[in-house]
Amino acid sequence: MTFTTFLVDDDPGVLKALSRVVRSAGYNSVSYSSGREFLQQSDPSTPGCAIIDLTMPELDGLELQQCMIDSEDFRPIIFLTGQGDIPASVSAMQAGAVDFLTKPIQCQNLLSAIEKAVQRHIKAREAYTERKRIEEKLARLTPRERQVLDHVVAGKLNKQTAAYLGTVEKTVKVHRARMMAKLEVRSVADLVRMVERAKIKA
Amino acid sequence: MNSRLERVASARKFSITPSAKANLKVLAILGVDRVGDSIRLAATKSLDDMVVLVRQFRRLQPNLAMPIFVAVAYYIGAKAAFLIGTLSDRIFAPFWPPNVVLFCALVLTAKPQWWRYIAAAFPAHAIAEIEVGMGASQLLVAFATNCLVAVFSAAGMQGLVVGPRWFDSLRKACLYILITALAAPMIVSLFGAFVPILGGGELARYPMFWLDWYLANALGSLTLGPVALIWAAGRGRLSDIVSGWAAVEAAILGVSLVVVCSIVFKVGADSVPISFLPALFYLPLPLALWAALRFGVKGASCAVLIVTTVLIWHTLKGPNLFVSADAALSVITMQVFLLGLSVPMLMLGAAIDEARKATRTVRDSEERMMAAAVSADVCLWHFDRSSDDQLWLTEHGRQMLGLPNAEPITRQILINAVHPDDRESARQSLRDAFAAGKLADVEFRIVQSDGRARWIRCRARADERHDPQEISGSFTDVTERKAADIELAQQRHEIAHLMRVSMLGELSGGIAHEITQPLSAILSNAEAARILLRQEKLNIDEIGEALDDIIYEGNRAGEVIHRLRGLLKKSEAKFEPVDINDLVNSTVQLLHHELIARQVKVATSLAAELPLVSGDSVQLQQVLLNLALNAIDAMNDVVPSRRMIVITTKVTDESTLNVAIADHGIGLKTFGSEDLFKPFVTTKTHGLGLGLSLCSAIAKLHEGTLTLANNVDGGATATLTLPLGGALPVMNSRSGS
Repeated sequence: MTFTTFLVDDDPGVLKALSRVVRSAGYNSVSYSSGREFLQQSDPSTPGCAIIDLTMPELDGLELQQCMIDSEDFRPIIFLTGQGDIPASVSAMQAGAVDFLTKPIQCQNLLSAIEKAVQRHIKAREAYTERKRIEEKLARLTPRERQVLDHVVAGKLNKQTAAYLGTVEKTVKVHRARMMAKLEVRSVADLVRMVERAKIKA
Repeated sequence: MNSRLERVASARKFSITPSAKANLKVLAILGVDRVGDSIRLAATKSLDDMVVLVRQFRRLQPNLAMPIFVAVAYYIGAKAAFLIGTLSDRIFAPFWPPNVVLFCALVLTAKPQWWRYIAAAFPAHAIAEIEVGMGASQLLVAFATNCLVAVFSAAGMQGLVVGPRWFDSLRKACLYILITALAAPMIVSLFGAFVPILGGGELARYPMFWLDWYLANALGSLTLGPVALIWAAGRGRLSDIVSGWAAVEAAILGVSLVVVCSIVFKVGADSVPISFLPALFYLPLPLALWAALRFGVKGASCAVLIVTTVLIWHTLKGPNLFVSADAALSVITMQVFLLGLSVPMLMLGAAIDEARKATRTVRDSEERMMAAAVSADVCLWHFDRSSDDQLWLTEHGRQMLGLPNAEPITRQILINAVHPDDRESARQSLRDAFAAGKLADVEFRIVQSDGRARWIRCRARADERHDPQEISGSFTDVTERKAADIELAQQRHEIAHLMRVSMLGELSGGIAHEITQPLSAILSNAEAARILLRQEKLNIDEIGEALDDIIYEGNRAGEVIHRLRGLLKKSEAKFEPVDINDLVNSTVQLLHHELIARQVKVATSLAAELPLVSGDSVQLQQVLLNLALNAIDAMNDVVPSRRMIVITTKVTDESTLNVAIADHGIGLKTFGSEDLFKPFVTTKTHGLGLGLSLCSAIAKLHEGTLTLANNVDGGATATLTLPLGGALPVMNSRSGS
């Protein structure tokens, strides 16, 4: 998987240098000289992270972060700044930034921040795939099996489930066995965990 | 203020000038409250005159002593006259002293007091006349005419001649002669002639009696009158009249006059040939002239009195040229001679006094002026091109300029005294004054004999005529002021430096940022190069580029430091060609971070091929920075999207250049935008308020101007105007040695 870093800084010298560092570490990089350019030209679905300078004319770093959140662009952000501004760093981190670095940037700090972003990306990716798999499995269930699932997860006994659904316990047991087989889980505990993971998305 | 006096004065239509008011106040304090006298006193022009008048006034205040004194004098005078009559059958008294006495008393007192003196004189007159056996009617008529002539003369003198000095001008002397020796006696004589008629004279001899009476009174006025009046009106002390060597001279003069007159008047008709006689009578003249010339009216009147006395004395003693068979004729000839002598002498004495007074006044005024000039440390000078190039200079001036005393000063000597560096500008300024008739105002240094220099300010103006030949002016020593000026300039220099440092302090965050960026780039490039070097396949090109970028960014940081160093300098102002466009760009660079942080946009509109300006780049940069910071501050409360600064440079005409910094802020509130340029005036919540006053001073140093004005569409524009071309004055902050 190619991971791209999106560099946003109004200073061309800094932009060039960062690009070089990042590429020498093996990542792809795309440079933008303003926040507006980044919003207009960058595709949110490309895997990667944004490395954004805090003080830029017109649209500064924090405003850019807000724009990305508003447009559901969940790419992780690493902030760079020439001044160590505590309130800015606090609001940046609270809004979900990966890290906040002060210039002059030390290569080590940057690369580890990028690594963190990569990890976060991978985790997000995994979570996403996981969800998709679960949803796919859930889609295999029949409506009746789905109902039984809901009741089992709710902790109901077969007897109660049968009474609720208007059928007999034996039928419920059969549905239950078939449902568990389709979903490939062995215990109720696993079932509950799976449903929980899926429910995040639902 | 005595309002009663004021009311009466205005009722009598006197206008009260401010000085008169002051005088009235003084008089009220002195206790002079007689209205008429007060007003007369108040009308005197000088304080000295007024003091003398008041003294006279007081001396002759309504009291008993004076009239009694006058009565006694009257009596003595009458007796003396009668005595002369009895001592000789050749003549009788050529004049009548009592009238003179009465006249003096009356002329020196206010009219309401006169009745006292007349009343006091009557008994004296009556007693004296009865003692010689005069009849009642004769006595009365005689008294009446005596009083009349004294009254007329006194009234005339008081009306036309204002005391206290009665003879200090030719005009006054002539008036005295006209009134007391012509008009009054001539008219009153018409009545006085009746006295002898009443005593038994023939009516047919009326003209003769008239002439007798007239001459007697006229002569009295001219021979006795002046001396008596001067003595009575003055302090009456001899020491007041003459002192020291003058007293000795006067004594010699008096004695010589007596001797000469004795000789002349003793000569009988037979001892000298008749053709010599006119010459003989001129003998006393040189001495009388000497008296008049040396002692003025006092001398003249005393000389006349001496001649009169000696003549009468010798006539009583024995025969002389005046005496003939007829006593009346003898007296008349004496009277005519004495009249002929006294009139011109009196006039001459008065004229001399007047001239002396005038020269004294001029000399006093000149002395006062010189004293004032010396105390103001100003030297006055006058130069006449056409007269041999000589320069007239006050004494003080020679001292000031270190020139030797007594030597005549020429233009060349003066020029040589001037410091060589300043000679040309001094010369040029004087040439301009001659040529264009304008005021020359130039400062130059004089090198004194001990080597020290002093600054002299010369102001001069030539004659207003076409092609003037004369010029006059003043020199003032302004060394202290110059030293103060230099110190002021230095302090301003220091403050300017401090302001620059403070401005940089304000910008320090931004400047740190400006350096951080290149440093960051350098670091990242170097680290990238490091990583690249560890790779198996070396990407030489990429590494090379990284190094190139490092060099570039390093230079960029260096630029920022370089710009800062200029601002932090404290050295002397150096005038050299400056490119204003460069300066504007540099200013924008310095403010780069500040502009971003405050969300202000900058647009520049710089004229292409802007000519260079002669100036100090550090100071000019300071001005631009200050104005730009002001513009940024002005937009603090403006919506970020509207925060915009526009900097323009252009050439307005062939000799000036404009730099304008326009903002969209709150604009200038104060109507008198002059106030904003004063020190410590600020509309900001921070800062000292020295920025604009310093910028204005810098603009002035560059012979330019700084103005602020509101824009039509909101905000304000600061415009710096600078002259193009030409070197600026060399007189920078050099010390005055």
